[in-house]
Formats: sequence, C-alpha cells, structure tokens
Amino acid sequence: MAKSYETIDHPADAGLEARADTLAELLEALAEGMAELICPPSSVAPAAWRTVAVVAEDLEAAAVDFLSAVLKVIQVEHFMVAQVSVREATGNALSAEVAGEPYDPAKHELAREIKAVTYHQLKIARGEDGRWFGRVIFDL
Amino acid sequence: MAMTKKFQGPIEPIDANRWRIPKSWRADMRVDGILYCSRELIDDALNGGGCDQVANVATLPGIVTASMAMPDIHWGYGFPIGGVAATDVEAGGVISPGGVGYDINCGVRLLRSDLTAQDVRPRLKELVDQLFRDMPAGVGVGGPFQFSGGEIAKILAGGSRYLVSRGLASEEDLAATESGGCLDDADPDAVSKEACHRGADQCGTLGSGNHFAEVQVVDHVFDRDAAEAWGLAEGQVTFMIHCGSRGLGHQVCEDYIRALRTVPAQYGITLPDRQLVCAPVDSPPGRQYLGAMRAAANFAWANRQLLVHILRATLARFFGRSAESLGLRQVYDVAHNIAKLETHVVDGLPRKLCVHRKGATRAFPAGHGELAPAYRKTGQPVLIPGDMGRASYVLVGTAGAMEQTFGSTCHGAGRVMSRQAAIARARGRRIDQELAAVGIIARARGRTGLAEEQPEAYKDVDAVVECVHQAGLSRKVARLKPMGVVKG
Repeated sequence: MAKSYETIDHPADAGLEARADTLAELLEALAEGMAELICPPSSVAPAAWRTVAVVAEDLEAAAVDFLSAVLKVIQVEHFMVAQVSVREATGNALSAEVAGEPYDPAKHELAREIKAVTYHQLKIARGEDGRWFGRVIFDL
Repeated sequence: MAMTKKFQGPIEPIDANRWRIPKSWRADMRVDGILYCSRELIDDALNGGGCDQVANVATLPGIVTASMAMPDIHWGYGFPIGGVAATDVEAGGVISPGGVGYDINCGVRLLRSDLTAQDVRPRLKELVDQLFRDMPAGVGVGGPFQFSGGEIAKILAGGSRYLVSRGLASEEDLAATESGGCLDDADPDAVSKEACHRGADQCGTLGSGNHFAEVQVVDHVFDRDAAEAWGLAEGQVTFMIHCGSRGLGHQVCEDYIRALRTVPAQYGITLPDRQLVCAPVDSPPGRQYLGAMRAAANFAWANRQLLVHILRATLARFFGRSAESLGLRQVYDVAHNIAKLETHVVDGLPRKLCVHRKGATRAFPAGHGELAPAYRKTGQPVLIPGDMGRASYVLVGTAGAMEQTFGSTCHGAGRVMSRQAAIARARGRRIDQELAAVGIIARARGRTGLAEEQPEAYKDVDAVVECVHQAGLSRKVARLKPMGVVKG
C-alpha cells in the first residue's frame, strides 16, 4: 500500500500517524484521516470539489496550514470530504483538490467537531528507508 | 503510543494542598511552578503530562510570582489545562494564545428556578427530549439565529450587551455575567473574515466535545448565606450551560498562533514549545491578539446568552408558564479560558498584569470593585461543571484567591482518560442506560459523545473542589446533581 494512517491515543484529544511513499500521499492520508474523524468518507460521494493551497515558512508549518485549510472547507462550507488529491507538494508550497459533497443530515453521521490542527508533537519527515512519516494532533 | 510520561522533575510538598516545582530545576524557568493538589489527586497530576507544561510556562518573559496550576490540571496545548499565569505588562510581560486556548471564553452559565425536583422528575424524559430538540448543537448545520456580517461585528464589539438592543438579553442578565458579558476594547477588525464566516451561523449553538446543557437539582447547600443571596436552596432545580466561542474562537486562536509563529524570535524570546508562541502585551502583535481575543470572548458571551434565550423559551412552553413565573433567573456566568488585564498586588505593589486563566475561573472576593453591586457583599459565584454522572458545584470567590492565585480557582473535574481509552472502555456498554439506572437522562448527537464523556473519564469533582476549598481559593456554596444531560 502506498499510503496508510491510524488514529493514535492522546490524553485529551485525537491524533493521527501516517506513512506513505511520497510527501503528496502522506498529506492525502493525513487529510483523509482527519476527515474520517469527523464523518466516514465512505458515506460521502465525490460529487463536487474544492481547491486548497498554502505556502508557509517550513514544511511542518505548511502541513498544519494545509490541514487547517481542509478543515475550514468542512467547518465553514459544511462540505463533507470523500477524497483528497494533492496536486503540488514542493517543499513548503502545498495544494490539493478536495472531493466531496455538501453536508446532508439524512446521509452523513457526524462523529465530532475538530477545533484545530495543532503543532504539538508534530512531525513530517522522510525516514531512512525513504518513506514519509507524519504525526499530527487535533484539538477536539 | 503513550503521548505523556510521568513527570520526571522535582516536586516538593509545601503543605497539604500545594506543591512546588522549583525554578532551580531548569535554567530557563524564571519563577517556581506551584501546583494546587491534594495527596489524593497528585498521582493523576504527575501522570497527566501537565507538570512539564507548568515548568514551560514559568519561562515566559515577564511572568510574576509563579506558574500555577489548579487541581484539575491535565495536559493542554502549550499551557496545561488548569493553568494560571500572570505577566507584568510594564516589564515586557507577554500574552500567549496558548494561555487562553482554542475555545476562547469557554465558560459556564447557571440559571436557578422555583421548580423542585418533584415538579420535574415525572416529566424529566420528555423535558430532556425537548431540550435536545431545541438546543442547537451547530455541528454540520447552524443554529436558528442568522446574523449578518454587520451584526457579527456588533456582537464582537458588544458581546451580550449588544443583544439587549435586540430583546435577547436583559440588564439583569448582564449584571449576573462576568465583566457584564462584554470586554471593552475588543477589536472586531482583528478577527479574520474566515473566523467570522466560521462563526456566522454558530452563534447560539452548543458545539460538541465536553459541552452540554444540564437539568440539575441542588443536592446540598454548604453556605446558607451565599446560597440564599443567589436564590439557591436544596431540592431546587437549576439549569447549566457549558460552551464557548465555537468555530469563531477556534479560528481566532489558530490565526494568531500562525501569525505569532515568527514573533518570539523578533523579540529575542526562546520558547521550549512551539504552542507557547507569544508577544509582549504592549507590542503591535500583542495588542492585536488581545483585541481579537476580547472580540471572540464577547462572541462567546453572546453565544451563551442566546442559548439561555432558547432555554427560557423551551421551559416556558414546556411548563405552560412564563420564564418569570418559573423563577428563572441567572445565578452567574463565568469564563474559564481567557486572558485579562487586571491590577494585583505583587511584592507589596499594585501591578498591571495580564492574567491568563486556561481552564481556571476568576474567583473575586466580597468587596472587589470589579464585581456588580449584587455580588459585592457575597463575592463572585464560581461555577464548576463536573462530569455528567456525579456533580457540579457553585463556589464563592475569596480573599485567599487574591492573595495566592491572582483571584483564580479551578474550572471543572479535569480529564484522566483519553477519548480513545474512554471509547474502548465503553465498548459493549450503553452509557445512556447506565446513567438512566441512576436516574439521569442523557442524550447526545455524536456517535461517540456519551462514551468519550462517561463519568469515569474525569477526576472526582468532589476531590478537586475540596482541594480549592481547603487551599482557600474559593469556598463551597452548593453541590448540584445532574438529572438530565444534553450533549452537542
């Protein structure tokens, strides 16, 4: 598998750890994992799409900004996420297309809200085996 | 993967309810850490990840007296939850969004009524179902109140006070709200468009997580004089709301943690944790965050005011009597995630301080000039929400809090179990049925809400409150037992 993610235990909140062959896939895994914490992507049809793009001073800051931008699409536009496709991941500039559909209470069961993507124990790095590793904690 | 480990630093007992983390432990600590905690609660405090954060906060420029934590301490972003820190504004003291938290002015509001437990018990299930239908969570869809951009700006500037002009709040409500439901010098222009969009349809909604609306009964009165002054007596029914500034406040915090990322280096400040980003209070970025935070705090007061408006309407309809004839009056409203400029005596001299209370509650005593006249004789009511199975408390502020903690006390029970661990422990159980078996009707929207918030996930609120009572930070007035719980 090129990319994967799992939720990790945290004293107050929720976190994700992801592994992938490329940085683009790592960010997709983290964004889709975050979306799943809110609403299972399997219940969301990729009927429409939104774009997000960020630039920051370093890669980890860019990753937080990127996930925050996806979260904003969910929270502000009430747009549920089925799939995230990263188009650009060059250093600290990230952009993606977010596929999904508007929230429908009859169809989408919400598990929780996420208040924010945090910098706590944040890690976006490439391991010695050449694979990418990411860890991010969310404030619930 | 374990995300916290037991505190490895030195911790010295001062007395039965206080412990010191000496500043000699780390070269970067400017003051001691002081932990308010009984012997009973110390293991939870040492294992919860918050003690290292008490030491981290002790490194902030301008911090005075000590970096403090209340007995409900647990791990938070940057500052621990239960943290209190004051910085001297004129000595380069800083303000940190991490010392306020993502949910700016998360707080608690309490209403008393003339209803008794016997009046409510026979129709309790029906009442909780009605409240569950009427109190909007705002998760996924917005609430019943839609405000234009111009109105949001007025809410940011005026808080609950603005709602008086809309007929959604009364002068009596404002008098029974910390700071009158409005912080002066809020700067709506410092709040981003994204934050306003995120909050536009959420004013008047509960949110999710640990936020709730509860039907409670006064189970025990400890201080008859204060209880009588606030209209509380044993057997009486009260209504409590716990929520904050919703997506607007979360976005303000996120925006300023981002905006301040490069600021510490500009002022020569070295930080042990990126979540502690800060700026001198008296600097352009510091003033801008303070203005935005005050605006978000005002939004939170308006939010709780609107929820109380909905609550009053629901109760009037349900019981077929007006809110006045039900004796529905606001006991008080407190903020427990906030930073405020206050004057306190430090080393014998009055100093203008920026007091951060993150998961801590203001507890001003009788005679304090900032209290509304109705509370000058008793001191300020302090509202402590517990877990949904055990109890909540009403306390009163004391002179001891002014002497020791810049007029601050605890804010709740404090988590001891991660959400994931709580969900695992709830597997195969029905938390709603367990609560019903002890007479508590609970309703939640989220799939995992009741499991994550099960009583065992929290410290024993009785022990937390006993500690602040014994330490002289506030005095017990009444204990409230939950009867019905609505989670967002």
